Amino acid sequence: MLNVVIGGSAGSFQTVTNILASLPKTFPFPMFLCLHRLKYVRTGFVEALELKSSLPIHEPQDKTPILPGHVYLAPANYHMYIDPGNTISLSTEEVVNHSRPSIDITFASAAQAFGSKCVGVLLSGANKDGALGIKLMKDMGGTVIVQSPDECQVKTMTMAAIKITDVDFVFQSQQIINYLQNLKE
Amino acid sequence: MFEERDIHELIRALRDCGNYDFSNYSLKSFMRRVEKLLYDNKMDIYALTNAIKIDRVFLEQVVRDITVNTTEIFRDPSVWQAMKYRLLPKLHSQKEINIWHAGCSIGMEVYSMEIMLYEAGLLDKTNIYATDINTDVLKTAENGTYSLRNVKEYLDNYNKALCVNPYNFEERGTTPISKYVDMDERHDVMRMKPYLLNKATFKKHNLVSDPNPFGIKYDIILCRNVLIYFNQTLQSKIFGDFWNSLVDDGTLVLGIHESILGPWAGKYEKKGLMYSKKQL
Repeated sequence: MLNVVIGGSAGSFQTVTNILASLPKTFPFPMFLCLHRLKYVRTGFVEALELKSSLPIHEPQDKTPILPGHVYLAPANYHMYIDPGNTISLSTEEVVNHSRPSIDITFASAAQAFGSKCVGVLLSGANKDGALGIKLMKDMGGTVIVQSPDECQVKTMTMAAIKITDVDFVFQSQQIINYLQNLKE
Repeated sequence: MFEERDIHELIRALRDCGNYDFSNYSLKSFMRRVEKLLYDNKMDIYALTNAIKIDRVFLEQVVRDITVNTTEIFRDPSVWQAMKYRLLPKLHSQKEINIWHAGCSIGMEVYSMEIMLYEAGLLDKTNIYATDINTDVLKTAENGTYSLRNVKEYLDNYNKALCVNPYNFEERGTTPISKYVDMDERHDVMRMKPYLLNKATFKKHNLVSDPNPFGIKYDIILCRNVLIYFNQTLQSKIFGDFWNSLVDDGTLVLGIHESILGPWAGKYEKKGLMYSKKQL
């Protein structure tokens, strides 16, 4: 089964909302979201994302089993790992790239857990978090997509990823949406 | 970078030479901790494993560094509001209250709890026990003295936890935090007031292998964001240990993203943000 993992920071919220709004209720794969957010905004984020999404969105509990068609959003102030046994683990260890959740942590664990069955998407953002994770996903045989820096509100993150990895696609957000809508096993 | 089998060799060394069993830790976050340790010590995993085998002091340091100590004052204010307005009022009629903080880290929640008990007029009749695997953090906890800069961002938690009653919005508390702590901006120090210090009993304890550290039954066990570092097998063992260590109807408080899964799930009842022990 394929798995979609999306990371984003400053300037990515609208894109994530659009992606979620455009996916059908029958979307057959699990999706993981690792988004930086303001530290003190601890509640209300799921509700905001869920407004337009036809897929159920969860801030998962530790050791939650992963189900297709569900969206898992890294909880505020926790790192989110994908376990080899198809569950999610959380951790409160130090910030990575000044971030908790860190996109690199989620991406790296997804790369190791899913290998070639992994589609990674990195969106707009203001630091380098996620770049190493994209590289690892690619190295493990996954498909990696980076939002076109021209379109990003802040392009630091996507530029950092493109710089160290020969990514599969550099897409505008509409192309990312089309790609995910047509995603098949 | 290292392989999974190298990790198992390291885990074996920690067990054989130090009696610490990390084999049921959650693998991904454990590997990440080891990566960080290797980076900080500028070692590879073979050098680390060898050093552990010959140097007991270093081994203890490694154990302290592997374990995670993130904590906050009044972390998740909604939990503390439930503590204040829902749980503590039920304990008023008891002669004595026993509370165990399992994995207390630097003690911020030990003092958060003491403040809540004080507010409820229950502190004097409460025995507070606090344990951690890491003796460094226990020392900090005992001293009750923190860097003000590091805790400042959590002071908002205090205001929410103590001054807002989500069950009755018309009621607002006004107790300033200065009643409970002394703050010294110039020296970057926040220190708990003397009447809160020396209240709790601190002790080194390993949840993985040690029995109930004080041999009594507790009305409340707080174990927040500790079990996330364990796999489900070990989590289940601990849920059993806690069940046996709680009084009837005793309360278990976990992190807000932790829940009781597996064989013990049916033996606890979820009550809001907390779990209460069910009779078998």
